[in-house]
Amino acid sequence: MYRAIPVTRHASSAAGRGLVRATRRRLATTTPPPAAPKQSKSVVRKILFYSVAATGTFYAGSAFVSFENQRYRELFTENVPLGQALVEYGEAHKWDELTIEQVVVYSVDTAKYVSDFVRRQLGTSTQDTPEQKDKEATAEKTRTAKEPTSAMQASKERVKAAAASLKTAVKKSEETAVEGSAKAVAIARHQAAEFNDSLDDLIRRAEAALAGKPIDTLPEATTTPSQPSPSPPDTTPPRADDVDVVVVSDKNVYAAPLPIGFEPPPGFSRPSPPKKTPPKTAPNAEAAPEPLPLVAPAVSELAVSEPVISQLASTIDNLASYLNSNPTAAEKAKDVLATAKIDLTELAGRIEKIKEDEQQKLEQKLDEQTREYSLKLLEVEMEAQDRLDGQEEDFRKFFDSEKARFVQVYREKLDQELKTQTELINERLKEEVIAQGIEMQRRWIREVKVRVEQERGGRLAKLDELASNLKRLERLALDNSSYLDENIRVHGMWTALRAMHAAIDAPVRKPFREELRILRHIAVAKDDAIISSALESLEQSDAPDVGVEPFADLASWFTTSVAPRVSSVALVPDQNAGVLSHVASHLLSSFRFQRRGLVQGSDVLSVLSRAEHFMDEKDLDSAARELNQLKGTAKELLKDWLEAARRRLEVQQALEVIQSQATLASLLVV
Amino acid sequence: MSKPTSSENIVSQKYDRCLADLLVKAGVGFGVGVVASVILFRRRTWPVALSTGFGMGAAYADCDRSFNPARVPGTRIVTQTGDVPQA
Repeated sequence: MYRAIPVTRHASSAAGRGLVRATRRRLATTTPPPAAPKQSKSVVRKILFYSVAATGTFYAGSAFVSFENQRYRELFTENVPLGQALVEYGEAHKWDELTIEQVVVYSVDTAKYVSDFVRRQLGTSTQDTPEQKDKEATAEKTRTAKEPTSAMQASKERVKAAAASLKTAVKKSEETAVEGSAKAVAIARHQAAEFNDSLDDLIRRAEAALAGKPIDTLPEATTTPSQPSPSPPDTTPPRADDVDVVVVSDKNVYAAPLPIGFEPPPGFSRPSPPKKTPPKTAPNAEAAPEPLPLVAPAVSELAVSEPVISQLASTIDNLASYLNSNPTAAEKAKDVLATAKIDLTELAGRIEKIKEDEQQKLEQKLDEQTREYSLKLLEVEMEAQDRLDGQEEDFRKFFDSEKARFVQVYREKLDQELKTQTELINERLKEEVIAQGIEMQRRWIREVKVRVEQERGGRLAKLDELASNLKRLERLALDNSSYLDENIRVHGMWTALRAMHAAIDAPVRKPFREELRILRHIAVAKDDAIISSALESLEQSDAPDVGVEPFADLASWFTTSVAPRVSSVALVPDQNAGVLSHVASHLLSSFRFQRRGLVQGSDVLSVLSRAEHFMDEKDLDSAARELNQLKGTAKELLKDWLEAARRRLEVQQALEVIQSQATLASLLVV
Repeated sequence: MSKPTSSENIVSQKYDRCLADLLVKAGVGFGVGVVASVILFRRRTWPVALSTGFGMGAAYADCDRSFNPARVPGTRIVTQTGDVPQA
């Protein structure tokens, strides 16, 4: 218990729970009696303790304040030694995120742990510690019960203070909730519910505190050997109440206010609704003896609401039974018991009354507060609603204006786009119109051309006819010209031929190379094979250079020299003709008869006479043929003449061929 | 032979040359006979006539040969073709 004190105090200082602190301080104030003899040492210890506590509080408080206030933090870290380290330590261990509930949970947890630890330690060392504890508890109760009204008052005040503090807390939360929405309202409701719960708790505590008063009327009754076992459970309820809280916190209760519909984080559970301590009826109440008036039945109606009173009544009954067992003391004790009984019933009644009053008052106050808070909540809700409505209105207005703006912007954009599109389309249309115009113009021009063509068709056809006629004329003219050319050529040929004839038939022998050349030139232009071959044979001979003997010359030559000499050798035999035969032929030929005309016979003189005849007929060809038949000496003598005659005949023949060809050409021309 | 002649004059030319040759060879014979008669035959006449005869005979032979060159002493030319009848 001693060792638990500093820890609980530390926790209580952090938690700030008035009631717990009160109980603890009451327990702590019980500690000085053993240390009372040394006054000076206690003073020093007190000073040391207070200074240490103040310093610790200062540091812890400063750390927490510095998390809230930046300026204070700077001041704290710069001016106070170890301030920087403390703040950093606090930040490292997340003190700044610490909530009051968490602190309470931690502190209660720690207290539980420490108490468990101490109990375990003490339980292993001494067995009679529970009884000792019970003794101390009862002693403390007797001490505290001496001023019940003051305790009641104090507890009332504490309840009030707690209520006020909670009220302020709720107010604060309400203020914060004003800015929030339904969530904040829910939180506030939750806090109100919690507040109700805590109020119930407070009521229970107040009842417990009230119950402590009747207990202190018991004088050392628990020391009776007959009642060692039931007393500890009897005295434990007020403690168990404390421990109950500890036990609840042991299960990782998420004590912080939860929004409606939210679950606590994993590993935590909702705070279980505060258990009503089951009213314990004293089983020993009916054990009262007959002779003495029993107190338990008298207070039995009270015992339903106040188990302690029934307990007390049972204790008194026990005392009465004890007195019954001791008849000597019974007489004396009867009055006392009667008064005690009256007193007890009175007390019980008063307590009941006070309790009822208190309850009524509390309930009234609670109702009032509930009404107030509900009103406030309603107000806040309405305000929030109004504000929300206003905000909604604003939003709507903003939305409308934005919508209008957007509509405007989009319309402008659309207009712009439409305009550009229209321009584009207009441009395209214009281009198309231009293209179509060009196309139509082209078509029109083509059509006009076609029309003009059709109109001109007749004239053009006439023109064509004229052109064809002209062409025909041209053809005719060309043909004519070609005919003319041909005629000219033939004429030229004829002229050349005539020149050749003139050259050949000239009275004197002369070369006709020039004439032959001209004739050949003309003939080559014609490219006639026959003329070419004839001219070729003429050119190859030497006749053109030397010319040909004229017929008159040939005839005179024949008659004057050739014919007499041939006739003189006419009788010469063809073989072995010597001088004598010649001389004889010469002499005898002078004695022969001259015959004229076409004489029959193949002898030399007949042939000669026929040749002479042909020569007279100007038939050189036949004469030459006749003379060519001669043989022997006559042929020898005729050799030169025959040569000249044959040349002339060749030329004449070629000329005749050319002449016939020219005649043919002239005939072809026409 | 210097001046060109026609073919009809061939026989006449041969006559002319034969006569000239006779004259030359008869004269040469006559001279040789004269000389031989004077020298050898104490002025007898017959050597003169004989030698002139020899001369004239040589000239005749030559003339005949000119008219018929194929006539060579000791040879005879026979015509093989019989188509030409003998006149």
